[in-house]
Amino acid sequence: MSILRVLVIDDEPAIHRFMGPALTANGYETLRADNGADGLALAATRQPDVIVLDLGLPDMDGKEVIRRLRTWSDVPVVVLSARDREIEKIEALDLGADDFVNKPFGMGELMARLRAALRHHIQSKGETPVLKIGEVEIDVPRHRVMRGGEEVKLTRKEFDLIAFLARHAGKVVTHRQILKEVWGPAHEHDTQYLRVYIGQLRAKLEADPANPALVITEPGVGYRTGD
Amino acid sequence: MSAEEAQRASPEALLAAAERETRGKLRIFLGAAPGVGKTYAMLSAARAAKVAGGDIVIGLVETHGRAETEALVEGFEVLPRRGIAYRGRLVPEFDLEAALRRRPRLLLVDEYAHSNVEGSRHPKRWQDVQELLAAGIDVWTTLNIQHVESLNDVVQRITGVRVRETVPDTALQKADEVILVDLPSDELIRRLADGKVYVEDTATRAVQSFFKPSNLTALRELALRQVAARVDSDLVERMQGSAIGGPWAAGERLLVCVGPDVAAERVVREAKRLADLLDATWFAVTVERPGRILPARERQRLDAGMRLAESLGAETHSLVAADIPTELLRFARFENVTQIVIGKARRGWLRPFRTSLSDALVERADGVSIHVITADSPETSRRGWPSLPPVGPAAGYAVAALCVAAATLIGLALTQLVALPNVSMLYLLAVLVPAIRHGVWPAIFGSALSFLAYNFFFIDPVNTFTVARPHELLALVIFLIIAVLISAIAGRAREQTRMAALRTRATRRLYEFTRKLSALPDAPSVAEATAAEIQGALGRSCVILLAGTQGGELGVAAAWPPEDRLDTASMTAARWAFDHGEAAGAGTGTLPSAPWFFLPLAGAGGRIGVVGVERMPGGAALDSEGEAVLETLSDQAAAALVRARLSTEVVSARTAAETERVRNILLASISHDFRTPLASILGAATSLIDYGGDIPEAERRDLLNQMREEAEHLDIMVRNLLSMTRLEAGALDLRRDWIDVVEMLNRAVSTARKRGAPQRFAVTPAPDLPLIFADQSLMDQVLGNIVGNAVRYAGPGARIVLSATVIDAQMVIAVTDDGPGIPPETLPHVFEKFVRAAREAGDGGNGSGLGLAIAKGIVEAHGGTVAARSPAPGQPRGTRIAIRLPLDTPPAMEERER
Repeated sequence: MSILRVLVIDDEPAIHRFMGPALTANGYETLRADNGADGLALAATRQPDVIVLDLGLPDMDGKEVIRRLRTWSDVPVVVLSARDREIEKIEALDLGADDFVNKPFGMGELMARLRAALRHHIQSKGETPVLKIGEVEIDVPRHRVMRGGEEVKLTRKEFDLIAFLARHAGKVVTHRQILKEVWGPAHEHDTQYLRVYIGQLRAKLEADPANPALVITEPGVGYRTGD
Repeated sequence: MSAEEAQRASPEALLAAAERETRGKLRIFLGAAPGVGKTYAMLSAARAAKVAGGDIVIGLVETHGRAETEALVEGFEVLPRRGIAYRGRLVPEFDLEAALRRRPRLLLVDEYAHSNVEGSRHPKRWQDVQELLAAGIDVWTTLNIQHVESLNDVVQRITGVRVRETVPDTALQKADEVILVDLPSDELIRRLADGKVYVEDTATRAVQSFFKPSNLTALRELALRQVAARVDSDLVERMQGSAIGGPWAAGERLLVCVGPDVAAERVVREAKRLADLLDATWFAVTVERPGRILPARERQRLDAGMRLAESLGAETHSLVAADIPTELLRFARFENVTQIVIGKARRGWLRPFRTSLSDALVERADGVSIHVITADSPETSRRGWPSLPPVGPAAGYAVAALCVAAATLIGLALTQLVALPNVSMLYLLAVLVPAIRHGVWPAIFGSALSFLAYNFFFIDPVNTFTVARPHELLALVIFLIIAVLISAIAGRAREQTRMAALRTRATRRLYEFTRKLSALPDAPSVAEATAAEIQGALGRSCVILLAGTQGGELGVAAAWPPEDRLDTASMTAARWAFDHGEAAGAGTGTLPSAPWFFLPLAGAGGRIGVVGVERMPGGAALDSEGEAVLETLSDQAAAALVRARLSTEVVSARTAAETERVRNILLASISHDFRTPLASILGAATSLIDYGGDIPEAERRDLLNQMREEAEHLDIMVRNLLSMTRLEAGALDLRRDWIDVVEMLNRAVSTARKRGAPQRFAVTPAPDLPLIFADQSLMDQVLGNIVGNAVRYAGPGARIVLSATVIDAQMVIAVTDDGPGIPPETLPHVFEKFVRAAREAGDGGNGSGLGLAIAKGIVEAHGGTVAARSPAPGQPRGTRIAIRLPLDTPPAMEERER
């Protein structure tokens, strides 16, 4: 496998300063862009495998970068955003970003997100009938869910939900995305459905429902499927 | 005086406040007369306080055997009385020593004015109370207005009863609270008749003369005024204590002597001018000799002078002393007066002195400057005519004529039947009827008619106006004199009855008005209530104009019936009245063509506006009675307006001071709390840069970990500061969503563990908890802060329990630890900004003291509450912080599957 290429779009030199060496140390090739326009140009010309994008850019809104990028590329995008800006994050995810990291962040966390995004991206190229999250296998055509070799009985909605989440493994999906897909556009805002069903799924699938590892809540944003 | 000095709180006010902090608090239940229910009110209040939890003991209560009062005593601890031997018998008295030994939080001691029997520690009970207060015990007591020393004379004048037991005014002024216990006069009289009022050792006749409606009304008025005056002085003191700019001068202190002479007002104005020049505090003082009753006209002038002084900003005092100059100088020294202003008068109150008062003062005042104001007009106290009652309507004269005619007919008829020796009696009867029903003038008219009729019909020669016999002429003249006298007496009695009824009505009205005003929060509502009241009392349209706070233009503040502007002529008159401090407009000498009559509204510290009353269609000015009503009401309104304005200023000044304080603490907190982690990071980083090679691997990792932890800590602090700023700016917008509480509790625990919390955690939710509708990331922050607080202060070996349950339709989320707990003195403040447990608890400067304040702010923004308890309920120690959030019903789900 060739060396993976990461494009970092951020206007802060300090971020580039520590990210460059850390990414190199992890075996990535790093591309640096200091504004949105340069970032889009580099994304088009150098074909990065994954993009790290700061939402606060001097020349254009980071969300605008995602919108334009998504018109011609499905490269995974991990967004950097302040913790208390949930709306910004949700908008970025709905526009097609794959994941987000709260600023300030630890390098270990960012690396984990990059790895997950890359893996998911490669996985989703080939459609497999059996999805896996941790110990759980979801056999979509047969409508069966196995955990540690044993079948787990799920209701239809529970199954639809876990299948949807599994299809988006390694990504953060917003409440709206899940509700729209699983319950239909009329239920886009009925988050209480999600709370109840996620609770039921955890009870049936998680080894320790109090410390979920399969379906992780991103407070105020949505859910992430663990790996 | 520099601007800074002007803003500094007066040391006297602060000292008085400081003294009050450590002293016990005194609450006086003040009544106008015995029997209004002071003891009852005190006991009822004490019962309520006892329910709220309080160490309340009855030191002494006189129930006078009233069952309902005795019932209230039940359940209280009552100190036994101490028997003191006096004239061969034991008198049970209040036991001061026992009270001091018992040291309750609050002690009830009835009858503040009581004189102790000989052999007690203090001669007076109020002195016992002072000692209790000094010992830090709160005291509630009762007092009748007639026992107040300075009012003693007034009360005697009103009631004719001399009260021997008195309390000095300072003992009343020192009370932290005065509560007026009021009862309408007629109700009190009914209670008296029912035997419900106990009056000790007073002869029945004295009691009867005391409990007359007119007396009781006057006493009520006195009590009311006393309480109203206190409200004003409380406010002024608070203003001084809060350092609010105003005419609070220090340095020069000026005293003006106000007498009953015509020059009084001029002397007061002169003193005001001087006080302004010197920027001095000033007092207006009048000294009366005990037992001397001023003629009505002089009393009026004296009152007018004092009222004027008060409205011009003077502190007024009425003193009673036989030796006027000595008393004046004593007062002057007591108040540190530096200048005395006095009018040069030759008559009136100075008559008993050979040398004039001014001469006496000049001779004896050391270190005090005396200003003598000479009278500039030759007009001395001209003796005025006593005012005569009004002539009255024609109906009265018709009645008088009819009565005389009837008496004549009856007289003629009777003399036909029997030989009536004294027909004149019949005529006296005829005079009496109009006298009682219509007043003096119709009665005198009746007397004259009777005289003529008696002469014409009954005195020989009959049917002529001539009188034959001299002794009959004499009888006729005597008859006339008697008739006129009866007319005068009966007429006056009628006039007095009418006046008394009017006064009672006015007093009641005034009382209700004052009570209404005291409840109003701001100047506009006071103005509105006043306009409506004056319109109601006078039956004419009323308008109130107020000047802007910074000496701005006059503008209509309220009117009844509503009106928002006045024509130019009226505005000119209003402005003139305001600028000159005198009445103007309709019915006055200034701009009489204006359709309104304007009276300036003046409170302490200057004029604040004018009150206007519309002219009657006929163009008549207000009669003197109406003018008096208007003056009384506007006086009350002015005081209330000043009060409302002051309290607005107090509030805004307090807010400004609070903002300033928070900003300072914030800066100090930021510089300290941010520097500490920054210092660690910088120190660790430079160590690694400079000596990295010499540091063993394990320690190098430790330094790097320290840098990471401190940076994470800084992140939390920045986040909290941001939230605080948003909370305070009201810019926190909640993104509410349905939240699973159990999940939230678990997440809080795992976050705390991730941050390295060494404690043992347990999550114990009740089964089947409903979802809550809240902002998830904010609630995470709340829980994170509370758990973080427990982690920081409970100690590494502690156990932290997160629980959730539903109580009374509220979600109760609690974080309980078994650490050392919060000290009781800190407990009430844990949710305030920048309050944190003592540094020496190993905190090392972590946390900005904002965590719990933010938690509280966020929870309250959700409509919930948060409370801390230490020790935690059901535990010997530890802390429990509980959040209560209202539950919303989640929308029903269409297809719930199981």
